[in-house]
Amino acid sequence: MTKENVQGAGKEEQQVQSKKALKKQQKEAEKVAKKAEKQAKVAAEQQDADEDDFAKDRYGVCPMVQSQQKLDRALVRVQELTPEKAEQQIWVRARIHTSRAKGKQCFLVLRHQQFTVQALIAVGDCASKQMVKFAANLTKESIIDVEAVVKKVDQKIESCSQQDVELHVERIFVISQSEARLPLQLEDAVRPEGEGDEEGRATVNQDTRLDNRVIDLRTTTSQAIFRLQSGICQLFRDTLINKGFVEIQTPKIISAASEGGANVFTVSYFKTSAYLAQSPQLYKQMCICADFDKVFCVGPVFRAEDSNTHRHLTEFVGLDIEMAFNYHYHEVIDSITDTMVQIFKGLRHRFQTEIQTVNKQYPSEPFKFLEPTLRLEYREGVAMLRAAGVEMGDEDDLSTPNEKLLGRLVKEKYDTDFYVLDKYPLAVRPFYTMPDPNNPKYSNSYDMFMRGEEILSGAQRIHDAQLLTERAQHHAIDLEKIKAYIDSFRYGAPPHAGGGIGLERVNMLYLGLHNIRQTSMFPRDPKRLTP
Amino acid sequence: MALRELSSLEKCLGLKKPNKYSTQGDKKVPVLQNINGPSLVGLVTIATHLVHEAKRAELLGASAEQRAVVQQWLEYRITRLDSYSKDELKLILKELNQYLEDKVYVAGNVFTLADILLYYGIHHIIVDLAIQEKEHYLNVTRWFDHIQHYPGVRHHLPPVVVLRNRVYPSGHY
Repeated sequence: MTKENVQGAGKEEQQVQSKKALKKQQKEAEKVAKKAEKQAKVAAEQQDADEDDFAKDRYGVCPMVQSQQKLDRALVRVQELTPEKAEQQIWVRARIHTSRAKGKQCFLVLRHQQFTVQALIAVGDCASKQMVKFAANLTKESIIDVEAVVKKVDQKIESCSQQDVELHVERIFVISQSEARLPLQLEDAVRPEGEGDEEGRATVNQDTRLDNRVIDLRTTTSQAIFRLQSGICQLFRDTLINKGFVEIQTPKIISAASEGGANVFTVSYFKTSAYLAQSPQLYKQMCICADFDKVFCVGPVFRAEDSNTHRHLTEFVGLDIEMAFNYHYHEVIDSITDTMVQIFKGLRHRFQTEIQTVNKQYPSEPFKFLEPTLRLEYREGVAMLRAAGVEMGDEDDLSTPNEKLLGRLVKEKYDTDFYVLDKYPLAVRPFYTMPDPNNPKYSNSYDMFMRGEEILSGAQRIHDAQLLTERAQHHAIDLEKIKAYIDSFRYGAPPHAGGGIGLERVNMLYLGLHNIRQTSMFPRDPKRLTP
Repeated sequence: MALRELSSLEKCLGLKKPNKYSTQGDKKVPVLQNINGPSLVGLVTIATHLVHEAKRAELLGASAEQRAVVQQWLEYRITRLDSYSKDELKLILKELNQYLEDKVYVAGNVFTLADILLYYGIHHIIVDLAIQEKEHYLNVTRWFDHIQHYPGVRHHLPPVVVLRNRVYPSGHY
């Protein structure tokens, strides 16, 4: 009985098992059938689509452009799409900024640099259902070529830079496909701070932007900022060359620190070590001794200061000027301030669109300056600060908050965002600064300020080898290391002065931005070495 | 602190003979030994007494309503201004700034004891404000500057520089 029982139980068990297995099999079979059905359906649809699609030559993914052919096809730039081009059939290459499908239509916003235009693909004579679907499924930021007819619109398209026309697409080909997931959304990256907070919309924080700089640089704001930056460089060069300056190139790997040794990068240089230049200071001065009279230099400058502030970078672009003068270093100040004024005027004149674009995201008051530029003496500046209740000694350096406050006081009194502070205390300046003949506590040195922040530091330099040696010893500098520099003044050196401007700072302060990383394309600071 | 304040108040009220004070407890509450009666305890109590002694009762308010307002601000000084936590500072300045928007003095259009004691009590706060903050709490600064220049009030306290013109008009920076 027990045996039978056991057997019976075994049978039951088997039966149960087989039942389970059967069910499983059945399910699997069903699955396979479903899958096959689905596949068949998709295939059928595909076939259907292929068969029905009269427009299948009008869209698709282009083979990689490997320069196989020279197409005789003119590509019109998005910014040139104006009502004058109405009714013309044209080709455009642009990115897909946004896309929105709506039944038988698909709206695309096409973007090239900071310009955008609306494009429309609708099922009709030129486009099939499948083509519209294809367009709607394109990923954002993909680069496409479209052939389209320019049409005037009745109502302005507020969301685009080209507001008076739209494109009726007839052909659309993908040149380069973007991955579907973007690390940041361009709309989020241009949203003014605070705006969209109520709707819970995101803004992108700075580190995310900088980590994905290539995408962040595509935003209208970034495009405008760096076009303006290029403008500053060009205006700087044009103005100085008109004034008879010569552009020079100086080495960046140097044997001695020019302004104190604490904040230089040391690099290993074969069997010895070298430094990365803090400024082309020594070389531009040597050029003056070599009779170049007026020189300037645009190039990288390195500072190993471990300061993580809104206005410090470890590598930035220096615009350096050095110039021989006749009798008074104010000749040089006047020349530099005039150059700056020419730059400000040029920007205001030529880059109005860019300035407005940046203002949309980062509102600021227009930049104001006087002609001729306001020049204050350090003592006057200190007196203004004291009158405002700041306690500081005659020979103290300006702290950053005091610098900013002085900027506000000057703006209030003289209504200018740009001024020169002259006659700094000798103690706070580098060893090659010429002392003031009337008061040995002061020096013939000056800083220039934009919106209360320093953009240029300069001075009359000592062109007498004897005095230069004394000052270097006073600063405890190893004379051996700067021998070549001092020696260059032994064979007749003209009196000269100059200064160095930080390009990123000028750009930042002109636009009223709050962080220097916004005006450095690939910023370098103590915590960032990539991208 | 309170003792220096009381001696300044005496001078301010024109009392010739200085009183002797002691303090009581951890919070150093001032005590005035009164020759003719019981001793008086507490800043506001003693201050009120001094006002009466100087026969300057108008400093406590001319009407019943004004007297009530003065008392209210004297109390505010003791309860709020003398014992605030760090995070409350901005709130205090903000509420005072709003209150003073349409007033010359704390109790309206006349100078009272409340102005004197509020000035003594808020001085250490104002002295530490940056120019931008002083401009932000414009009404407080205006009132403060007015009181510190009121004849005979300032005494033991250093003057605070107040700019008459706005330096930060746009609000940012």
